[in-house]
Amino acid sequence: MTGFVDLFTEANSALHRMDPRVKIVAVILLSLLALILSELAYLLALAAFMVLLLLIGRASLSKTMFAFSYVFRVMILIVVLWPIFDPSGATVLLELGPVKITWEGVLDGLGTAIRVFCLAAVWYILMFTTSQRDLVRALVKLGLRFDFGLSLAISLRFLPTFGATVESIKDAQRARGMELDKGGVAKRARNYLAVLVPTTVTALKTADMLSLALQSRAYGARADRTYLRELSMRPADYVALAAVAVVFALSFVGRYLLSVPL
Amino acid sequence: MKALSMRDVRFMYEGSDRWALDGISVEIEKGEFVSVLGSNLSGKSTLCMLTNGLAPHTLKGKMEGRVEVFGKDTSGLSVAELATSVGMVFQEPDSQLFCMSVEEEVAFGPENLAVPRDEIRARVDWALGLVGMRGYNDRSPFSLSGGQKQRVAIAAALSMRPEMLVLDEPAYALDPLGRLELYSVLRELRQDYGMTIVIAERDSEEAIAFSDRIVLMKGGRIVDSGTPKDFAREPNRLRTVGVVPTQLSEISEMLNARIKGGNFQFLRVEEASKAIIENCLASRAGGAR
Amino acid sequence: MIPRTHSIPSEERVISVRNLKFVYDGGVEALKGINLDIKKGEFLAIVGGNGSGKTTLAKNFNGLLRPSHGTVTVMNRPAASQTVAELSRVIGYAFQNPDHQLFCSSVEEEVRFGPANLGYSDEEVKRKVEHAIETMDLQSLRGLPPFSLRLGERRRVSIASVIAMDPQIIVLDEPTTGLDAGETKVLMEKISHLNREGRTIVLITHDMRLVAESSSRVVVMSDGRIVLDSDPRGAFADIDLLRNCSLVPPPVMLLAHSLAKYGIPKDIMSPQELVLRIVLEKGGAR
Repeated sequence: MTGFVDLFTEANSALHRMDPRVKIVAVILLSLLALILSELAYLLALAAFMVLLLLIGRASLSKTMFAFSYVFRVMILIVVLWPIFDPSGATVLLELGPVKITWEGVLDGLGTAIRVFCLAAVWYILMFTTSQRDLVRALVKLGLRFDFGLSLAISLRFLPTFGATVESIKDAQRARGMELDKGGVAKRARNYLAVLVPTTVTALKTADMLSLALQSRAYGARADRTYLRELSMRPADYVALAAVAVVFALSFVGRYLLSVPL
Repeated sequence: MKALSMRDVRFMYEGSDRWALDGISVEIEKGEFVSVLGSNLSGKSTLCMLTNGLAPHTLKGKMEGRVEVFGKDTSGLSVAELATSVGMVFQEPDSQLFCMSVEEEVAFGPENLAVPRDEIRARVDWALGLVGMRGYNDRSPFSLSGGQKQRVAIAAALSMRPEMLVLDEPAYALDPLGRLELYSVLRELRQDYGMTIVIAERDSEEAIAFSDRIVLMKGGRIVDSGTPKDFAREPNRLRTVGVVPTQLSEISEMLNARIKGGNFQFLRVEEASKAIIENCLASRAGGAR
Repeated sequence: MIPRTHSIPSEERVISVRNLKFVYDGGVEALKGINLDIKKGEFLAIVGGNGSGKTTLAKNFNGLLRPSHGTVTVMNRPAASQTVAELSRVIGYAFQNPDHQLFCSSVEEEVRFGPANLGYSDEEVKRKVEHAIETMDLQSLRGLPPFSLRLGERRRVSIASVIAMDPQIIVLDEPTTGLDAGETKVLMEKISHLNREGRTIVLITHDMRLVAESSSRVVVMSDGRIVLDSDPRGAFADIDLLRNCSLVPPPVMLLAHSLAKYGIPKDIMSPQELVLRIVLEKGGAR
């Protein structure tokens, strides 16, 4: 109803069980890896690994299709347009007036599309397998200040509430004969006001109440706050982190210090 | 030592020119279940906010008089410090639950108070069990019904182990079933744990059925107080502050007026039924058949 | 109690619902086959617990939601062929939370928004606004910003802003939530007045007392279905049905049922009525 989709799906996979801090660090390293690699074979290998992770993480088919529908469109655009705009290669495949397509251009286009897939996939896998609550908890543990983390958590928690409020306000005004996208500039401006003002007022009232509720629940009582659920690294987490770090380090050293074509 | 003691308290919100509370003196015993009844703007909500220091610490304004909670003067204590004495539950279910799971919601208070982890775990289990929400730990509060949300809000206050629970019209947005669930939890808290309960309400049905004492407010003052029995006997005392008497007391009032020597007074349906049968219907030819 | 006078319902159908099913995006089937005819001038109460489908049904009347299956006919025209704006000429819909509606800097402006949207002449708009302000007793507040008012007043402004569009049918979603006894009484008197003008009222509520005091017909909903459609007495006679629909029977109803075997009718709706019957029965015994 609200257009807001939580990508997380409850499941008990190896990726779900992984410490969210490890997942965040691994996702960053794997993203960098996708940027470092440029040889098609290595990029394909990384893409295959992403597909494997999606399978391990038991990503729901419908959410995967939803998430990747945009990515695939971008990939197709890249594959088609890249060779047209990058005619710098030597092996000419086709020449039509000003348009020159080269073999190298086609390969670069493919490589870039696969890189986009890897980048999207690695972040989607994080979202698919990590609840918002674990994400926020991990960020706080990685050094984000508790009050920032709490603000982030509250924002995420209130997104659906807020979406529902906006929908209800739109409905209330439509029931008074308002047609949001009709009429001249002045009328439209007024129509947007009819949604914006109640939304703002409702949000401010909620914020006021929230601050009362937070204080009544001893928010800020002590600096040495405790946590019911601590994150704890298990052996598998260390292994996963080490593996990703080693692959990343090897690729980085190989590509930039030893100039190995990767 | 009283659970709550207010002496000559006046309070005026910043930007207002009228006393929201205009000379309140009241004492509430430990373990008492007190309903504060009044119409909108009678001051009952402000009275609640003064018990844990939200007024005047957060809700700014001019304050006179003295508020003591379990012998402690609230003026020198922060809202967070008072949280271990007074648990507060508000009207709107949606704006007082802000965590992503029920468990986090209930753990939030004790975490802020730096309670050790094992103890928090025990308190969360205890509080959720008490309000009948065990097993909902990982659910998002957003996905619950109104009645469930308010019970989670109660659990979230209880986990700080307050000695008194103050509820500002907690049944405001609930359907009749949600109200019933909420009040059943409060009754249990009062009976099994001797919890002191102060609840602001505008409806007399639950106040009469559940409380030990009823305090009536109007125009920022306490204008009357008594037991549920008193108000069941004299429903006009409720009408003077704009509160509708219970249907049972309306019935007893009318019966007393119409039946010679009638001296009815009902708190519960069962006793009303019994009294009416005995005094009005039992002699009826062919009755009970 | 407010005297129960209603506009006499005619046989003319203003809303007609056939085999209506509604499924939300997430797959929840909120309405599972509704058939309902609402007649001109009726004061219809739709009751049911939270999540029973009452609001979903009402939003299908004026096109805020569109049926997944089945049809809705409003004033003999299919709702499907009309926009929400077109339907708002005949169906006024006051939302539960007035704060979702109010946005203008004065009460008068707020009330004018609806009729102005519908493209009436200035003269006509003025007349309708005046009528709405008068009906909802807002003369003394007309220049004030709606947000400065109390909840009971804001609710009246939001209803005025709906009736200013001069709809034949008025849907009110839980209009008494958060109001105290005095404010409730004032509001329900205004609503009864609108009904006596000949308008059809659809009141969504879970308050059985309100039903007893105001409605001429009750539809009880549970789990997306209509489980009872009768005059208010019919709903009061069936205590188990109400319980099964997560409605709480009011004390007078419980008491009347407990006295049934002594000749007290089960369909009693108010304390006055019950006392009258008891006194009659007692007198008859002598």
